[in-house]
Amino acid sequence: MSEGHPVFDAEATGEPPSSGSDATSSMDLAAIERHVQGRFGDVAADVKFGELSLYVKPSQVLEVLRFCRDDEALACAWLADLSAVHWPAGDHSIQRQPSTTGWPEYRIDRAQGVIEVDYILRSHTHNHWFRVVVAVDDTTPRLPSVTGLYPTANWLEREAYDMFGIDFQGHPDLVRILMPDDWVGHPHRKDYPLGGVDIPYQNDKFIPPPSQRDLREVVE
Amino acid sequence: MSTDLDRAAPSDDFAGDVFVDGADWEAVVDAVSDDIITVNMGPQHPSTHGVLRLVLQLDGETVVNVKPIIGYLHTGIEKNAEFRTWVQGCTFFTRMDYLAPLFNETAFCLGVEKLLGIEVPERARVARVILLEFNRLASHLVWLATGGMELGAVTMMTYGFREREHILDLFESQSGLRMNHAYIRPGGLAADVTADFEDRCTALVVKLREKMGEYEDLLLRNPIWNDRLRGTGILDADNCRELGITGPLARAAGISWDLRKAQPYLGYESYDFDIPTETAGDNFARFLVRLEEMRQSLRIIEQALADFPTGSVMVDDARIAWPSQQALGADGIGNDPAYIRRIMGQSMEALIKHFKLVTQGFTVPAGQVYQAVESPRGELGYHITSAGTNRPYRVHVREPSFVNLQASNVMSAGALIADVIANVASIDPVMGGVDR
Amino acid sequence: MGLEDKLPSGILLTNLEKFVNYSRSTSLWPATFGLACCAIEMMASGGPRHDMARFGMEVFRASPRQADLMIVAGRVSHKMAPVLRRIYDQMSDPKWVISMGVCATSGGMFNNYALVQGVDHIVPVDMYVPGCPPRPEMLMDGILKLHEKIRNQTFAEQGAR
Repeated sequence: MSEGHPVFDAEATGEPPSSGSDATSSMDLAAIERHVQGRFGDVAADVKFGELSLYVKPSQVLEVLRFCRDDEALACAWLADLSAVHWPAGDHSIQRQPSTTGWPEYRIDRAQGVIEVDYILRSHTHNHWFRVVVAVDDTTPRLPSVTGLYPTANWLEREAYDMFGIDFQGHPDLVRILMPDDWVGHPHRKDYPLGGVDIPYQNDKFIPPPSQRDLREVVE
Repeated sequence: MSTDLDRAAPSDDFAGDVFVDGADWEAVVDAVSDDIITVNMGPQHPSTHGVLRLVLQLDGETVVNVKPIIGYLHTGIEKNAEFRTWVQGCTFFTRMDYLAPLFNETAFCLGVEKLLGIEVPERARVARVILLEFNRLASHLVWLATGGMELGAVTMMTYGFREREHILDLFESQSGLRMNHAYIRPGGLAADVTADFEDRCTALVVKLREKMGEYEDLLLRNPIWNDRLRGTGILDADNCRELGITGPLARAAGISWDLRKAQPYLGYESYDFDIPTETAGDNFARFLVRLEEMRQSLRIIEQALADFPTGSVMVDDARIAWPSQQALGADGIGNDPAYIRRIMGQSMEALIKHFKLVTQGFTVPAGQVYQAVESPRGELGYHITSAGTNRPYRVHVREPSFVNLQASNVMSAGALIADVIANVASIDPVMGGVDR
Repeated sequence: MGLEDKLPSGILLTNLEKFVNYSRSTSLWPATFGLACCAIEMMASGGPRHDMARFGMEVFRASPRQADLMIVAGRVSHKMAPVLRRIYDQMSDPKWVISMGVCATSGGMFNNYALVQGVDHIVPVDMYVPGCPPRPEMLMDGILKLHEKIRNQTFAEQGAR
């Protein structure tokens, strides 16, 4: 993802800037940021809400994670989480609930749809953690598997595959984990509908208390 | 198949006793190619915690491989939350790990509060801590109850659920529900705790502390319990680190890591408690760790109760809090029905605001946060992405049971089938959280 | 008991249906089909405070072949649906189904791709117990109503199921 993270900046339309506490661990986070950027010059980073996020390219993922794990200053021996967010291409409007005041809809307008995969790395020895963000193209999402570095990613990557369709290359057993094996589609993508049944709300029908109900009438 | 049983010649030492060697078995076994039997346990099975399917590959009674198959309870909660407001999200996430619902709510709310940049009032913070620790107790009680029942200690089932009922009574008196409360909301609590909250909690702590002795009496030195749990399901610290195992399993393996101490939230740094750690890494160590965690929870609750603040339980922010939550001046406690009647009746603006906040919800600034809490099963993390609207854009839940269940293969390979039951029980998976 | 007044000396007359239905209703053994949160409340209703054993039901048979009541407690996902049907088919007649909780009754709050919106799409349900989760008292109310229903059922109705 070469553009930093315009996703959030572009959409922050007039909301008050967050007063999240950056102060407490920023020094350590800034030092981590400098340390990683010293090794990988083209890694963008920022600190928001007191959390450090490093933005890497898909080709760099394995290298960066290996560095974060094996470097003594970072020593991130634990992969806490592997999650994904889908930012689809085109005019994706995020509707607010319909209101009487006519609030505007939010729109995300992207030329290129991406799936952002986030790795939360944690170190017990230094008691710090940060996030590594990779963005992959959402039509054919492909990433190298990190199970070689962190065996815990086995099921986490299977879940990301199942829900987003990301092909983790090198994964020992990339099959669906939460959905049935023959399911078609990847449910957590934004182009996948929520599903369910349409329940029409019949506001005009008066339903009497149970003692006075005649079931035949209601069912018809 | 003709069998001439090889009879061992009766030795003089054991006059009259005959030992049969069964030496012909090898002849039989050789005829059949290496028989690994594949047995399917679950998803409907009395001893798997919920709908967990285990495919066991057995060599006789020894387990060669355990493959857990999950997904039988996948509810699409994460996707469903994208279509609901932030407060409604609490109602959804609370049903993931249904044995520790307040933990789900708290982790979500802490993440949302991070995005909003607000601090909850002191009273809400301490009430959250107290309720969380009671929930930890309730969860461990269910673990003891079901684990005991699966291993044969059926009385533990009655003990565990008997005590849990008292804790659920407390939850019901505060939130209105025994389970899946949706009581902890972004900004504080849904409603103030009742007037007798502190008294109820104090009485409950006394009662639970006295009952803990009963569990130890029943189980600690029980020979069957010891035989089944000691030395089985060994998971050492390296295994835990590679597999990302957190919680009582890691602490039983010697990894003294607890998010309440390492990355404190909700003011846990101000409470004095220990992190029980064992080194054996077997099922018995996990049992001891959980027992001790229950005692430490009681300690935390007592400290929190000792200094229970007054004030409101919802942040005083007009963008987030419902107008009916605002403090009543000198009384300092909101949610007085008379007050609500008054402001709803008199103030049109408050009425409209209340309506908008309930139906549309508040908007949360765009951004991404990861908030982890120490749930009874390990690190429960919420990775929340907001696009600046009144709905979560994406919430990914890092459930400890999901990650911990990967250990079942390592724990059970080479063990007996009966040990598989004990191992899965000691992982304490809650399938609602595993499958979400 | 007023029964003795109505009897000729020493003979107990009964309607075979009534007797059979009575014995069926008072020893209804549930099959363990706890799925999610409702399962915990089902376990709590078998626990010491709300004691289901009073009604002859604390014996949760693990094998469906030995059970005659299936309490579907929890949300049924599409992956679990064939398993549910299989367990139901393995139960021998007469069998009854209680759909416990709103997720089993109608999909509950999870109106989405993952869940079967109501377990009555898969198995015939005799008693719907709403709630999220229903209190143990509510579940027992449903069970007692089911007992009444069983007692009032004729053999013809039961055979037609």
